Amino acid sequence: MTSRKDEIARLHSARPRSYFMRTSLVAFALLGAGAWLWTVVGAVDLLGAHRLANVSRFLVHDAAPYPLRESGFSWQALRAWIAMMWETQAAEGAAATLWISVIAILIAGSAALPLALAGARVLAVPDPFLASNAGDQRGLEWTLRRTFALLVRQLSVAMRAIPEYVLAFLLLAILGSNAWAAILALALHNAGILGRLGTETVENLDARPLRALRLAGADRGALALWVALPLAFPRFLLYFFYRFETCVREATVLGILGIASLGASVQEARARQRYDEMLFLILVGGAIVLLADLVSQLARTWIRRET
Amino acid sequence: MRERWTGVPGGRRTGVLAALALVGIVAWVQLGLAPSSLVPRPGGVQIARNFFAGALSPALDYQAGDVPAGAPPFLLRLLSALWSTILYAAAAVALALPAGLLLGFLASSSWWAVDPVCGSRRRARRSALAGTAQALLRVFIAALRSVHELLWAVVFLAAMGLSPVTGVLALAIPYSGTFAKVFSEMLDEAPTDSARALRGVGAAPATIFLWGNLPRALPDMAAYVFYRFECAIRASAVLGFFGFPTIGYFLRASFEDTQYREVWSYLYALLALVLLLEVWSSALRRRFVA
Repeated sequence: MTSRKDEIARLHSARPRSYFMRTSLVAFALLGAGAWLWTVVGAVDLLGAHRLANVSRFLVHDAAPYPLRESGFSWQALRAWIAMMWETQAAEGAAATLWISVIAILIAGSAALPLALAGARVLAVPDPFLASNAGDQRGLEWTLRRTFALLVRQLSVAMRAIPEYVLAFLLLAILGSNAWAAILALALHNAGILGRLGTETVENLDARPLRALRLAGADRGALALWVALPLAFPRFLLYFFYRFETCVREATVLGILGIASLGASVQEARARQRYDEMLFLILVGGAIVLLADLVSQLARTWIRRET
Repeated sequence: MRERWTGVPGGRRTGVLAALALVGIVAWVQLGLAPSSLVPRPGGVQIARNFFAGALSPALDYQAGDVPAGAPPFLLRLLSALWSTILYAAAAVALALPAGLLLGFLASSSWWAVDPVCGSRRRARRSALAGTAQALLRVFIAALRSVHELLWAVVFLAAMGLSPVTGVLALAIPYSGTFAKVFSEMLDEAPTDSARALRGVGAAPATIFLWGNLPRALPDMAAYVFYRFECAIRASAVLGFFGFPTIGYFLRASFEDTQYREVWSYLYALLALVLLLEVWSSALRRRFVA
């Protein structure tokens, strides 16, 4: 009769293990530890007297709003300065940032729908949702359709692999300085992400309604358009609003490249070393991101409740 | 899914789509967009042609003949840029992860719940103090997240000058906020079965959280760390535009020198890195979810 201890030892040695996971874990732990060490060494260098003097000058002098530096603090002066900054620099950039991200996410969402449907493996078979897709009946058509779906999914990954900032930088040189460079950069990147998430949604749909309508004679196109899309719609919207918030976040910085969003004013203040103005504009950027975050959360709560 | 009649012709889906289209039209008008400005500017067509011509033949060596003396071989420079990109991203995630875990635990309802089995805010019986602390923490986390990493970088550059730590901190601060937010949501949405079981046998609240709630959320949390590492790689590549020695720095220089084949080499390197990470993480995910 095995003792309790033996039984525990047996279970322990029989537990599922994967050397791939262990190696990956060790590799990431080493990378993380090395990176920590590297940062700490760098931080020691950062504590030199020269750098510290810079930091204190920045905090005490540069960061203080300009009218308050000499005359001391007064609410009135601060209010006047904020109003002036808002009117002359922040308001226009903040609005442009919001509108750019709205257009970009709408384009991305529309482009993601075909990507999501074309990449879904459940639809990429000769006879979707019918029994004739068993292993022994996989012919040339099966292979071609699957390969196409794979390529579409890889395209989504490739679209999101290049950062928006780099895309905007490249597009600016080609299109010249207008809002389209920012819009297209955001739209391309987010279409990749939404396409990928959409594919997963379509693949995870409840197969029963799809199969039922397939048996009733709906073909692939009808299934995709009139069954899969409506069923996946709430989840698509969820992802859409989740990406909208990130879109606004990104749009604030794309201006640094010279597109008329908030970042353009940030960059200008930075170039002129007006750090008080720069910090104010960055705070405005934070505020509109918080606003977008709020809108996105309200929308997502509504979608969750209504579906 | 229940469909209710809402008075919108065509149903609610149509209503939502119409509302989105309306907002789109407003945005279009506000920005004064015209399809005509989509046409490349005069020099742009030539740039585009040259740029895309480079896509099929990425550079393996410096494209221009006159390389300054002492410059490392091109591939070496590419590899070192790639390594810096990984290093900045890894350091940022390594800093942000502990901070995000701590903040995420403290911001989750299952941590504050007197009855930890109830994940939802409404049902959890909590003291007023705990509620206030949680709300304040959530505001703090939202504030960390709301400023973009490049804007943090701009602030740190102005205050401290160029240093690896500046770049790492700029990435790590918003990332810890994102980790905190997502982790707290995952902890609260994870199945509560094991927490219930532990509570049933009389375990202490801390035990229930650490051995009941946390392990159920762990696979999702691990997958999310991978995704964030991928985002950090992209963000770290962009940091190069601000003078850090990551891919963006060299990409920008090559582009401005019109060495488009070199630009493609950097783009492909970044693409390969992200694809590799994607394949690796999905292989890992298959193992720990199954």
